Amino acid sequence: MSGFVDVIQFLSVVAIPALALLIVLTGVFRKVKIYEAFVEGAKEGFTVAVRIIPYLVAMLVAIGIFRAGGAMDILTSILSPITDFIGMPAETLPMALMRPLSGSGALGVMSETFNAHGADSMIGRMVSVMMGSGETTFYVLAVYFGSVGIARTRQAVPAGIIADIVSIVVSVWIVQMVF
Amino acid sequence: MLNYIWLTLILLGTGVAVYSDWRDVSTDRYRNGVGVECTLTQDATPAGTTAGGDVQAGGGTITVVASAYSAAYGEKLNPNLSNLLNLSNTSDLSDLVVRVRFLGAVPTVGDSARVGIEIPVDETTPSLWREIQAAQKTDGFLRATLRGDARGGWTLTPDPVRFVRLNAVTNDGIIRYAKVAVELAIGLIGIMALWLGLMKIAEQAGMVALLSRILRPVTTRLFPDVPPDHPAMGAMLMNISANMLGLANAATPLGLKAMEELNKLNKKVGTATDAMCTFLVINTSSVQLIPATVIAIRAASGSANPTEIIGPVIFATTINTLVGIVAVRLLSKMRIFRRQLEGGKPA
Repeated sequence: MSGFVDVIQFLSVVAIPALALLIVLTGVFRKVKIYEAFVEGAKEGFTVAVRIIPYLVAMLVAIGIFRAGGAMDILTSILSPITDFIGMPAETLPMALMRPLSGSGALGVMSETFNAHGADSMIGRMVSVMMGSGETTFYVLAVYFGSVGIARTRQAVPAGIIADIVSIVVSVWIVQMVF
Repeated sequence: MLNYIWLTLILLGTGVAVYSDWRDVSTDRYRNGVGVECTLTQDATPAGTTAGGDVQAGGGTITVVASAYSAAYGEKLNPNLSNLLNLSNTSDLSDLVVRVRFLGAVPTVGDSARVGIEIPVDETTPSLWREIQAAQKTDGFLRATLRGDARGGWTLTPDPVRFVRLNAVTNDGIIRYAKVAVELAIGLIGIMALWLGLMKIAEQAGMVALLSRILRPVTTRLFPDVPPDHPAMGAMLMNISANMLGLANAATPLGLKAMEELNKLNKKVGTATDAMCTFLVINTSSVQLIPATVIAIRAASGSANPTEIIGPVIFATTINTLVGIVAVRLLSKMRIFRRQLEGGKPA
């Protein structure tokens, strides 16, 4: 089984250079002026990155306040009756709450959970599936909408939250079914 | 909607911080200003220069009698040990003997003697002192003050800690994350330039158009408002492919490019189109096929079978993406969201 892990890790290392090479070689084959084209496209990199700064500051500072203030513990205890009801272990709640907010925070929660319960425990598996099937929803929303200056986000936020909740519930359920 | 989420995060964060600091004050959790009597034995070799040439701070050994500790703080010096041995009387236990390092001049015995000290904290340190040290945010040392008295004895008082959570909100929350946000954006510049450059080559080589043509039956249904040959379609497909392969740092530049193209089709400045909402939900629901990071951390944490979660992850992510797409399409028909699209000046 460790062979399979090696293959996956090899693929994730090789994917980016391989994709870059494929694009460049196809460009050569199709007689594109690759260097000029690259530079022309790359010029936009700076403006886009700078344009998202105010949106990123607004969202990350709010998430930072939420995390540093210790609101996570309070929310966990408020929500635990609901999660008990659907058969979700309370130990997986920090991950469920952290996943949409912060990628590095969620990684930290996952490592802590593995230390406390083991990666191969039911809780460890549930947390792994939540981590793999979720995204940092609020970061993505802030950055993507911010890059084109959109303030009225319409149905994107409620639909994103619905998808996050479904992801949590399905993660718990599928782990109970499979293992 | 993001307005409310933003407000909720900030209010909950500061509200909980204020509440827990108020609770710490009212229950006197850190026993600020409460000292404990102790005896001090100074090192025979005083502060100065060692043989190696390093400047050495003065040090000594402090002994706190177990009964004095419990008299001062109302808790046993070593509750774990006394539970273990089933003892009721704390004086049966060994006294606390710790090394200290002086932060100032080596004190002389007497009324006016007063010096700051550092005490190394480990698992044998009393739990209250460990809590205070954690709140002081020092690097493994409890900071305290030693005061001499007329009889030649000493009183050790840990330096007070106040407003632990509000300090954390200020330093770890606001100031640190404002910096992190800019660092993230600046760090994106290089990778953005790289992928937008490659994207331009792929575009001129006709790769993007080819990808769009192959997936046309799916994309025209997902994004009915976007013309099938529009550059936005190609950029979205590149972004979704990068996400599926788990290439997060390629996905973001391509996704932002897609948003820019989608915004060219926008008829109302500052308002999201249906296509943007659908595209964002596909992004936030994660369509990654192989969760490489999770597998790596599972392997590092000693899992016997780190990859066993791949199947469940693919299942969960497929379901949540499908539900997200259905939700975004159904919600787009609601009156409140429809109305936001009407009127206004064109983009």
